[in-house]
Amino acid sequence: MAKKQPSIDTKNLTAVQLMELDSCTRCGECVKWCPTYAASGQKPGLAPRDKILRWRQFMNKSYGVKAKLFGPSEIPDAELEEFKDDVHGCTTCGICATVCESGINTVELWESMRTNLVKKGIGPFGKQGMFPKLIGQYRNPYLLDQKARLDWVPEDVKIADKANIVYFTGCTAGYKQLALAFATSRVLNKLGIEFTMLGEDEWCCGSALIRTGQVHVDEVARTLAKHNVEAIKAKGATKVLYACAGCFRASKVDWPRLLGEELPFEVIHITEFLQDLIKKDKIKWETSIDKTVTYHDPCHLGRHVGVYDAPRFVLEHIPGVKFVEMDRVKEFQRCCGAGGGVKAGIPDLALGVAESRVKDALDTNADILSSACPFCKRNLSDGRDSLKADIEVEDVIVLVAQALGLSVEEPKSE
Amino acid sequence: MAYFSGLSDALRITFVQMMIVSFIAMVIFVYGMIINLQKWGAGVTGYALEPEAGSKGSAIRFLKTWWKQVTEESHHGHGKPILETLVLDILFQRRILLRSPVRWFMHFTIFAGWMTLFAMSGMMFAVEMTERFIELPFTAAQFREVLQLPNDIFGYILLIGVVIALVRRLFVSEVREASIMYDWVLIGVVFIVTVSGFVADGIRTGDIVWNIGMSGETAMAYAPPAALFHSVISLLFCIAFIPYSKYIHIIATPLAILANKGGE
Repeated sequence: MAKKQPSIDTKNLTAVQLMELDSCTRCGECVKWCPTYAASGQKPGLAPRDKILRWRQFMNKSYGVKAKLFGPSEIPDAELEEFKDDVHGCTTCGICATVCESGINTVELWESMRTNLVKKGIGPFGKQGMFPKLIGQYRNPYLLDQKARLDWVPEDVKIADKANIVYFTGCTAGYKQLALAFATSRVLNKLGIEFTMLGEDEWCCGSALIRTGQVHVDEVARTLAKHNVEAIKAKGATKVLYACAGCFRASKVDWPRLLGEELPFEVIHITEFLQDLIKKDKIKWETSIDKTVTYHDPCHLGRHVGVYDAPRFVLEHIPGVKFVEMDRVKEFQRCCGAGGGVKAGIPDLALGVAESRVKDALDTNADILSSACPFCKRNLSDGRDSLKADIEVEDVIVLVAQALGLSVEEPKSE
Repeated sequence: MAYFSGLSDALRITFVQMMIVSFIAMVIFVYGMIINLQKWGAGVTGYALEPEAGSKGSAIRFLKTWWKQVTEESHHGHGKPILETLVLDILFQRRILLRSPVRWFMHFTIFAGWMTLFAMSGMMFAVEMTERFIELPFTAAQFREVLQLPNDIFGYILLIGVVIALVRRLFVSEVREASIMYDWVLIGVVFIVTVSGFVADGIRTGDIVWNIGMSGETAMAYAPPAALFHSVISLLFCIAFIPYSKYIHIIATPLAILANKGGE
């Protein structure tokens, strides 16, 4: 008789991650803070603690003492399927890692579990499964023509052919949220910063694949990372600027790991770059904003890589801005709800989380809820609209452009 | 040869009994740890990898992967120095303090009481064993007397933490409702071991609170089995049981905190 095989395997789960499952003391801090658990009406399966418990039980059924002595116990497919739904109902915001008393790196644990299940043919969630094929084919998640990457560039924006600085636009800013691209490029021009862009050689950063557990599928994520790094090197750049928190995180954390080597250039968020210029007194503001502004830390910029102060520094230096903080900020920020594939996979859940965050902003009586990520802007705007709330949602770089007297609109054709 | 545990011959437990129980406890513990290390070692050695074909879980692979993660640079910018992590996050348990001072007090008193009593039991054992072969400037009985006060102090420190933990789990609704057998077994066993220690000591010394009404010849008769009961459940539940229960966090949590450089 053939030996019974475990129902799960350990693909993509590191030895340390498997140990982390046993390090959870079930203190419940993660449950208190989890934004999707709260927005779902406290669905037990979404609680981070519960996910750790279930995977620990899966591991013990497959590789624990009883499994060693008597053979592995079967885990029903329905149980794994249910677990898949729950592990994808997470925005990978990382608040559970911040508050975890055992110091578990939960974000990477969820991503590894997702990948493990995808490799087993369970998941990802809904239409997320199309990402690798579409991004692999079109090089962007919007299925738009790569040749149109720079179609948004207005005549007034000057882009060098080669420069020390590359502005990595990102698919969302380059195709969908053009105001962000107009603002970033015009601000750089105004400040006399010579920069270049990759044009059709800018491929998706791969974040959507990595976050949804599809980092391995057809090697698409690695191919994207490798291509982008080579394209940046070909431009002769030593610094790459990002106004998209998702691309920033992917470049800073995921690309080096995918490629197994350090990047040959510096990865800088636009707010960090502007902070440096403000400190050197190189920015001459032209317009006063005269509004109360609060700031939402994007998970990918804040908790994932630790950039908290630069956006605040920039906002506080814009003339006329009265900066106010929400209750949950910096490492304890409440996620906007868009990340981890939740916006695409479970839009209702994403909207519920966004509404909670907009309410946080409304409590401050701010006129503007700012952020530094196009996904946050999109989802917070949806949350604002759903609540019919009277608050403007805007990116920090757009506010900077306005304070420099720049338009973030497409020029009207004559 | 007698294992020292009291003031008179009548209050001694045989050395052989204790050695057998200790050996069994250690064997069960070591077996469980090997299984756990192999289970952890069934994981991959780095980001986005797959296990090598045909390879089984290996304790060595786990230790190598863990050490690599401890020593490599973090891309997230959260990493803290190892010494800081060791002192503040593991010994002082800063991460718990930051979240809940009450829970920190509870956990820290259990940790400090437990570890100190464990260390003092080890010292007592070492003195008695050494005395068999080398003449020491003091007797085991004298050393036992020296340890009596710190034993009492750290015993009460432990008891305070255990009582807070039990009260929380029984009377705080959100904690009670979230508790599963995995949690109850841990706190239940710690409570029984702690109280049995006080009772065994109370019967032996005639403590009016903890002698549970025994004195004279009754106490003389019940002191050895009470001490034996405490010693046996301490060894079985607090050493042998570690790899098979929530006690595993005693080993896994410090390792996780170190691997993640103090956590985010």
